[in-house]
Amino acid sequence: MKKIVFAFIFFIACFQINAQDFAKRLTEAKAAYSSGKLDDSRFAMEQMLQELDVITGKEVLKILPAKMGDKSANAKADNVTGSSGFFGVIIHREYGTVDSSNIDLEIISNSPLISSINAILSVPFMGASGDNKIIKINGYKALVEKVAGPNERTDYEIQLPLNSALITFKAPGYSQDDVIKMANTLPVEDIAKMLQ
Amino acid sequence: MLIPRILTCFSIALLTCSTSNSQGILKKIKDKAQQAADKVVDKKIDNAVGVDNNNSNPNSNSPDMSNVGRSGKPSNKTGEGLISTPPNVNENLTSAETSFKAGKYSDARYAVRQAMLGVQMEIGKNILAGLPETISGLKKDATTDQVTSAGWGMGWSGLTIQRDYKDGDKQLSFTIANNAVWMQAVNMYFNNGGYMQTSGGDQKWKQIKVQDEKSIIEFDASSGYKLSVPVGQTTLLVYEGINFTNEQDFMTAINQINIASIKKQLGEK
Repeated sequence: MKKIVFAFIFFIACFQINAQDFAKRLTEAKAAYSSGKLDDSRFAMEQMLQELDVITGKEVLKILPAKMGDKSANAKADNVTGSSGFFGVIIHREYGTVDSSNIDLEIISNSPLISSINAILSVPFMGASGDNKIIKINGYKALVEKVAGPNERTDYEIQLPLNSALITFKAPGYSQDDVIKMANTLPVEDIAKMLQ
Repeated sequence: MLIPRILTCFSIALLTCSTSNSQGILKKIKDKAQQAADKVVDKKIDNAVGVDNNNSNPNSNSPDMSNVGRSGKPSNKTGEGLISTPPNVNENLTSAETSFKAGKYSDARYAVRQAMLGVQMEIGKNILAGLPETISGLKKDATTDQVTSAGWGMGWSGLTIQRDYKDGDKQLSFTIANNAVWMQAVNMYFNNGGYMQTSGGDQKWKQIKVQDEKSIIEFDASSGYKLSVPVGQTTLLVYEGINFTNEQDFMTAINQINIASIKKQLGEK
């Protein structure tokens, strides 16, 4: 219980810091623009976008399921990396505490892989190869892929494109049906709205 | 024992065929009924709006379909295009602040990107205004002036500024790419030992310095001269010269564009 309270306080404190940074950058952007320093204004706006990306990422983490199958979310491993521009924001969540069998969830906005995944989803015969299968997760098209696990085990990964974002869900050691069932607990529509 | 089985199979096959046939007939009847109903509805609508479809007179008020394309759509002959209005920076920053305070982060992000787009367009226009009117007797072609920005977030292209100078078939095209990811490719020439300059054979490119900046000059018989100058951390200047007499002629033209001034406006060191 103490841990949860601590995590909550830490989360709120981080959000406050980001919110303050955003307000500070906004003031800088306005001041620089008014004085004709266009490049400084632009730089402040880039910083604002990074702050926004991080805040959005933390908001997305809040709405993710607390449990996935038999594993609880590992709050310590929650991570949001805002690298506005090339990749956008990377949101990372793990379920479980044993590295080798953790369920990993990664959401990357502005992912460069998005066009290739969309191409596979649009052309059925490309997606329906031996190792890939097109499925639906909460009404959104996604690709489930066979990957080689340790000791010749077959693992499964799901990739779900959302506009320019890409959700990757990895659950080593689970059957394909279990992986799909777990992925269906993700609030995909809400994530899409937050990242648009 | 075998005969009853054969008879059973035959009966099932017959039943299936007759079912599919009757389904086909039913579908045809349904389609015909639908077509007839559509015709009646269309006629009623035409009567209501005053269109006479039976009029075959070429002088009637029916639209000119002489340029009808394969898809049946008439080709467009008018329209002044879109108005190029850069987003208002102050308005979008205020909107970003309001959205942020209301917890609408997606809207705030959109507004910041719009504000950034507005600033980038302004930077581009200022740079174009600072470029010479003529270079080596070539006049600027204002119609091809272009500032392109995807705002921040697309990342690939950033801000692109273009200006052409022309006189007859001689042309100098100048492009500035700012915040461009692909400028890394040019930096690779300088950093990678694999791209070595050769002294023998056909010299396609070489490294030179232009206004104290390292650069690469290339020549191709069909496309002419090309100079690429990476400046600062994220900017690439590209000059392309068509029908220049020689390298010296091309370099004289290029040196009339002040790189230091462009760097300053783009915030490059």
